[in-house]
Amino acid sequence: MEVDLSKITLRPFKLEDADDFLLFAGDDQVTNYLRWQTLNSKQEALDHIKDVCIPHPWRRSICIDNCSIGFISIFPFSGEEHRFKANIGYGVAVKYWGHGIATKALKMAVPQFFADFPDVVRLEAFIDAQNLGSQRVVEKTGFQKEGMLRKYAYMKGKLRDMFIYSFLSTDLPANP
Amino acid sequence: MAVTSVVQSDQIKAKDEYPNLSLRPLQVSDVDDFMVWASDEKVTRFCTWEPYTNKEDGLNYIKNIVVPHPWLRAICIDDRPVGAISVSANSGNDKCRGELGYVLAFKYWGKGIVTRAVKMVVETIFVEWPHLERLEALVDVENVGSQRVLEKAGFQREGVLRKYLIVKGRSRDRVMFSFLSTDYQS
Repeated sequence: MEVDLSKITLRPFKLEDADDFLLFAGDDQVTNYLRWQTLNSKQEALDHIKDVCIPHPWRRSICIDNCSIGFISIFPFSGEEHRFKANIGYGVAVKYWGHGIATKALKMAVPQFFADFPDVVRLEAFIDAQNLGSQRVVEKTGFQKEGMLRKYAYMKGKLRDMFIYSFLSTDLPANP
Repeated sequence: MAVTSVVQSDQIKAKDEYPNLSLRPLQVSDVDDFMVWASDEKVTRFCTWEPYTNKEDGLNYIKNIVVPHPWLRAICIDDRPVGAISVSANSGNDKCRGELGYVLAFKYWGKGIVTRAVKMVVETIFVEWPHLERLEALVDVENVGSQRVLEKAGFQREGVLRKYLIVKGRSRDRVMFSFLSTDYQS
């Protein structure tokens, strides 16, 4: 399958994306390193889009020809000491892996997010120590690896080592 | 009188080399000792909070934050508080993790007291909280003294988190340290 990366776009989710959403959100391979439970039905997909995607502070559908094949989610923290930070997560349907789509989408998303949230100075990503593919994606996007946090959190019931990466607003190229 | 290392849920005495160092709950009656370190800007320099300026704020802090805290102890010399040390708790998927914090009155700096207190916490917290897998601490990049405390106490330095926290209006880099329950050999 050939993928023309210039056809990758980002947009907010719509209820009409439910079938496409289920294709990746209903796949254990995609949700393996996410905190989401794998979705099981179109109704769950509709509910998730309505209750989570649409009200979300910054969640975008990764699209090819306006068809949803994945998501990027950036969540600013709350509280006085932490509201200038945000956490990023993403996923792409398995059939589209291996074409650089996630990297392309993240490279589009990061400057857009900083423009939409000018108070945020630090974007961080926690990547499972065993998730080599995702480590490569964030590194190619320009995130800096800061260290490995040993036994940092439970994910799907197992205690995980995680790499912490960051992208600061000051890391953005001066001329986009 | 022999001084032995006794671990109880609310009072911990140090071994022979620090016969008069102990950890115990911090109480409202300790407020004057609390104000000695809490009002000192040398002590609060790298803390997220401003020095306390009046005793009423100190009393409110002890009543509202210290007393219900999941794990906070006064660091005592001859049973008089000279600082405090605490471990925060998390819930859900983050329950495995607790954050260590400590503060010590300036006149007692440089004597290894906090290092000793941290070691005492490490000896007890994984026993008191069996669900705890990871004790972590985040130290300002410029707070070299505090980094040395953790290194001497056996913590592993994991990396520098850039602009991790806003402290007194400025974003600060913090060094992440951790001590795992599996790092501990009794």
